[in-house]
Amino acid sequence: MARRYDAIIIGAGHNGLVAAAYLARAGRRVLVLEKRHVVGGAAVTEELYPGFHFSVCSYVVSLFRPHIIRELNLTKHGMQLIPLECSFTPHLEGPGLVRWPDPQRTRREVSHFSRKDAEIYPEFSLAMTKMGFFVKEIIDSPPPDIGSLRPAELSRLAGLFGHLRDLGPQMMELHAQLLTMSAVDFLKMWFESDALLAPMSCSGIIGTFLGVHSPGTAYVLLHHYMGEIDGAFRSWGFSKGGTGGLSIAIANAAQAYGAEIKLSAPVSRVIVKGGRAKGVVLDNGDEYDADVVISNADPRRTFIAMVGEQHFDADFVSQVRRYKFRGSSGKVNLALDRLPNFTCRPGAGPHLQGDIAVAPSLEYLERAYDEAKYGEFSRRPYLNVVIPSLVDPGVAPPGKHVMSIFVQYAPYKLAGGADTWPSRREEFGDTVVDTLAEYCPGLKESILYRQVLTPWDLEHEIGLTEGNIFQGELSLEQLLFLRPAAGWARYRTPVKNLWLCGSGAHPGGGIMGSPGELCAKALLESKEV
Amino acid sequence: MPIATPFHSRTLERCTSLLYKDWGGYYAVRSYDTTHEREYFAFRHACGLIDVTPLYKYDVRGADAARYLARIMVRDIGKLKHKQVMYVCWCDDHGMMIDDGTVSRLDEDYFRVTSSEPAWHWLVRTSRGMQVTIEDVSDRYAALSIQGPTSRDVLDAVCGGDIRGLKFFRLENSRIDSVDVTVSRTGYTGDLGYEVWMANEHALRVFDAIVDAGRAWGLELAGLDAMDVTRMEAGFILNGVDYYSALRCLIPSRKSTPYELGLGWMVNLKHEPFIGRDALIRENHVGSTRKLVGLEVDWDETEALFRAHQLPPEVHSGGWRDPRPVYDTRGAFIGQATSGAWSPILKKNLALATLKAEHAQPGSTVRFEVTVEYERRTVKATVVDTPFFNPERKRT
Amino acid sequence: MARYDVVVIGGGHNGLTAACILAKAGRSVAVFERAPAVGGLCTPREFHPGYHEPGVLHDTAQIRVEVAEALHLDQHGLDLAAPVSVLLTGASATGITIHASDDATAADIARVSARDADRWREYRAFVGRMRKVVEPLLNEAPPDISALGSLHAGSLGLLLKSAVSFQRLGRREMAEMLRVPPMCVADWMNEWFETELLKAGLAHGAVIGLWAGPWSPGTATNLLLADCTTTRSIKGGAGALSAALERAARHHGVEIRTGAEVASIRVDGGNATGVVLASGETIDAGIVAAACDPRRTFLDLIPPATLPVAFEHRAGVIRSRGTTAKVNLALSRRLEFAARPGERVERARTASTLDDLERAFDAVKYGRFSDHPVLDIHAPAVSTAAMAPDGTDVVSMMVHFAPHALVGGWDDAARERLGDAVVDELERVAPGAKAAVVAREVLTPADIADRHGVTGGQIHHVEHALDQLAIRPTLDTMRYATPVGNLYLCGSGSHPGGGATCAPGALGAAAILARRSR
Repeated sequence: MARRYDAIIIGAGHNGLVAAAYLARAGRRVLVLEKRHVVGGAAVTEELYPGFHFSVCSYVVSLFRPHIIRELNLTKHGMQLIPLECSFTPHLEGPGLVRWPDPQRTRREVSHFSRKDAEIYPEFSLAMTKMGFFVKEIIDSPPPDIGSLRPAELSRLAGLFGHLRDLGPQMMELHAQLLTMSAVDFLKMWFESDALLAPMSCSGIIGTFLGVHSPGTAYVLLHHYMGEIDGAFRSWGFSKGGTGGLSIAIANAAQAYGAEIKLSAPVSRVIVKGGRAKGVVLDNGDEYDADVVISNADPRRTFIAMVGEQHFDADFVSQVRRYKFRGSSGKVNLALDRLPNFTCRPGAGPHLQGDIAVAPSLEYLERAYDEAKYGEFSRRPYLNVVIPSLVDPGVAPPGKHVMSIFVQYAPYKLAGGADTWPSRREEFGDTVVDTLAEYCPGLKESILYRQVLTPWDLEHEIGLTEGNIFQGELSLEQLLFLRPAAGWARYRTPVKNLWLCGSGAHPGGGIMGSPGELCAKALLESKEV
Repeated sequence: MPIATPFHSRTLERCTSLLYKDWGGYYAVRSYDTTHEREYFAFRHACGLIDVTPLYKYDVRGADAARYLARIMVRDIGKLKHKQVMYVCWCDDHGMMIDDGTVSRLDEDYFRVTSSEPAWHWLVRTSRGMQVTIEDVSDRYAALSIQGPTSRDVLDAVCGGDIRGLKFFRLENSRIDSVDVTVSRTGYTGDLGYEVWMANEHALRVFDAIVDAGRAWGLELAGLDAMDVTRMEAGFILNGVDYYSALRCLIPSRKSTPYELGLGWMVNLKHEPFIGRDALIRENHVGSTRKLVGLEVDWDETEALFRAHQLPPEVHSGGWRDPRPVYDTRGAFIGQATSGAWSPILKKNLALATLKAEHAQPGSTVRFEVTVEYERRTVKATVVDTPFFNPERKRT
Repeated sequence: MARYDVVVIGGGHNGLTAACILAKAGRSVAVFERAPAVGGLCTPREFHPGYHEPGVLHDTAQIRVEVAEALHLDQHGLDLAAPVSVLLTGASATGITIHASDDATAADIARVSARDADRWREYRAFVGRMRKVVEPLLNEAPPDISALGSLHAGSLGLLLKSAVSFQRLGRREMAEMLRVPPMCVADWMNEWFETELLKAGLAHGAVIGLWAGPWSPGTATNLLLADCTTTRSIKGGAGALSAALERAARHHGVEIRTGAEVASIRVDGGNATGVVLASGETIDAGIVAAACDPRRTFLDLIPPATLPVAFEHRAGVIRSRGTTAKVNLALSRRLEFAARPGERVERARTASTLDDLERAFDAVKYGRFSDHPVLDIHAPAVSTAAMAPDGTDVVSMMVHFAPHALVGGWDDAARERLGDAVVDELERVAPGAKAAVVAREVLTPADIADRHGVTGGQIHHVEHALDQLAIRPTLDTMRYATPVGNLYLCGSGSHPGGGATCAPGALGAAAILARRSR
């Protein structure tokens, strides 16, 4: 019994939901099929322990595009963001470092470590803000089609280039450096102190299987400066009710426009006939027909598992096969009886309301990476900790707290094989808690409940291949017109009427909503639906 | 979250208005009462005492100190004598202003630089290969500014040594209540006045001694609001208000050169190469495209405009810093007024404005934006020379 | 006081190349070299009686043939031959030899993996196609990015030329051309081959002199560059190149002064007017051409308070961290590799696996040298008998990775520890070598820095990282002219980079001549 839709979207991750909402808004009959019992994919909130609501995977909203909020009227559907106030780097000795929204206060904090760093901070911010315009250009439009001689493509390239040229030669040079340098080398053009370099360079490695000294990690630093340009000042923040709150708001918007969302409906394969996608089959055998099938799953899962390589030519298959995932991060979620008490800044206070980075030095971070390179999880990992219950008390019972710990590195491929992860899950969890407890003794005693997610779990629970949180590494050779494969970066695929709308498409991962939005807009423009 | 200056316990006792603002990361009194008028008139008719600790201070020492500062500053530091102070500005490679401040020569190879923004790193990064050490002493020295016609009498009463003979832009080491201080005859009010520098730990003793002695001479504690009016009357520019540091500008058009800001008089193109010299030579040759000028806003037109709404002229009682557009007589945009104030002593409505050069001649007539009953209108304003107020006593 | 049209700072291969070209064009040229002999990193030396090492840059297969021909170096004794085969060898006794002939190499690889033998042919074909795009870029000055707005005719021409050859690749290959450079060489090798030894050996060639390991993104560029630049080897090694260049220079009337260290560049009114020697002697020059590295040029030789502040800062963030040590051994008998018993092997590279290579790199990140360094081995006596006494051998090794800034600093003890580690590694692939050592010379990056005046001991002057290859060494100086009038760059710190190519010297000289003719 097949039912017809204009478009079926596989997966109710935030991008799938954004695509659904845009298509439904344009009057299309849309069905979203989600294998889990909740919407959101990796942007999900779950009550794992009575009264404690966890942003299970993704825990902060970074660059969610402000125009999507406006166009889909998401605030009306319950979306609310609470800005992250500050960034705290605890140290085992000394007071640690907090970077505050107040620039003078930050200057004083930083000058404990380096007067130069404290004074040059505004100059660095200025350069980054200037470059943010360029990034905005990139993440808000489909990737340029290199090699095309179509006038529209050429003029788009010329436009991008002209934009660079208008910035002047020095800024062009800086762009080239930003795209190719390591986070540390890039930051060292301004800063000198380990205490500042370490937490700043971390943003370049999140989700990648690279170290802070690895070239190509500088680029992501820019994302922290996008808020200014977006007109969404302080765009880094918590979603009220957890990250799933954002997904629910988008789902509400999509449904209000008429989209259908079916939960616990895992798609087993895409029906392809005569080189065209015709619909999908669920695990239980149910079939759904549609003019267009849009996959929010990652490229490997979509093309190899759901479609089948027989439907593609050899070159495309080899491109998909070599597309790199290599998940490198894990997650530990804690229900806490009380707030953690950091030795270097005792007591409660605003320093706990932002993100807390266990990144005491560059060497610490690099050693964490080196261990992972050879197939072990870091014995002393980089941790990014947030306590959303401090600013959004509804997510935990009164006086109690939820703590979300992002952990890197946890390589998907352990030396003993990825399948050894389940047997090492608790050891990994202990490592994380032990690491953090060095900075806040008493943490262990305050834990009421602990959830440990390894990359293996992310693959099996959420469906992220090799546990890569961005649906494929955000390395330069997998970005722009190469994401996910050369010639197929515009959301279409070699199978007609099959489209991609997830983070495996341009511009990549993070809670941006861009792949979903850009896919839906390209699809509508194509008139295929 | 600002921090306290060494005088904070005293200012907090007296600041009944609780009107403070963040100045360079410190709490600074805006006005002790809810209005600043009493403090303003003290500056002009008796004297006012203001905590200027938040100014950034750097000690520059070494065999190359003079040569080094000569390379930084557009003014010829070579001419700076022992115990003399110079008002200076410094630029980037392209002759664009970074900051203005003072340089004092404390000894043959010992100078102190003050600035309105942190300058340590700029000083350090331009000192490669020079025999010079640069030390940030901002957090070590407290500073008080005592300004107004009776300031000389107050200091004379409280200081050891010959303060009465201290000439304009000179400094002298002295003692107040047996605390070593440095007194310079400088200030930001365009009046007779002095600045007193001391180590943090003795700050309160100096403060108390000056306040005690000042009773006989009408001394008032003053805040930034009153000083803002006086600096406007004096025609002094302010970094971050009338211009922006080239190191902080997102777009080139926000940057300014010393010529544009009316500081061309201090640019000494003849002295040994200084940073930005080539660009300034070029500008000096071809002329500036913009100029910072004084504006006197026409009172009669202002009054008439408000009168039409049955209103008395609504003029801001203190200084303002929200920039507003300036037009030519045909209504074309020609620049912006960046700050201004009603001058109680001149009875004039004053502003500083950066205008296209062709409109910057003294006597030129321009149109200045005024909002009347929520509606944007313009009134006549006349370009005039600054300072607007320049009393003889300032220099003598 | 002496006066020349052009003074060249540094008598390395690039300095000599620039001097030759300028003198040939009629300029009066003097070269000032601090060492007792010219040659720079290509200076052979008798380090033990009868034993000669070939110089730090013992790989001569990257000489730009165009430059050698233009200077008629053959008439001055330069003899080019097919590139020398390289043995890739590791812990096991197997080895793979990379020959100049792809067929011969494929046959050798086939003994280990038939699949990889086929892939080798495909790989070489791919490189051949890429070479058509890459090679022209190496023979010309980089385009003038800063003048693109004004559509500078020459630059536009070069861009168009590149764009056309790029377009000829076809869309799929164009994408590949853009995909590969930012990759790490390990990933790239894994895409091509299955044999660890082959992957590691090829990747080894990509990380020489780098502050990067095979897992560092961007290292694929270096392999691509090396593959696209490999041309002909020089008979007699690097020393023969220096000797030919020196003869050519003298032939064209270049005055060469050795033992004459330049202490500073004189700058007057924003223009370079000559140099001051360490002896105090001043030399006048119309143009100063610096073949020394950019950091040394701008931060050490230019007087303080001369450069624009922003440029000085930019020069200060040029990365020139050396990671290469050089170890020379005098052996009492001939070197023999376990993988090639009874054979004479002139060149070999160690590293069994990509991870071996990566682990060797890991050490420098923490300021230490690797306990198991990888070796790029050159036995020059195999082809040039005069390098060592009969029946013996001399072994020249470029050793990775060792940091210039060693934690605790370099001293004799550290130097000897490094030497021991190197000999132990050599012993693993060439058993018996250790017992045959009669003399050993260990040059740490710090020694290379001191001996050759190269900042950080960085053999490429400016690290070969993607950003520093694309914009080399800085935007203001990438076309050889500098913010100081009449001061030009002509060393490895400029496009197209380090190695015994002579290309930066030739392109720097061309920039000087182009300016003069205007």
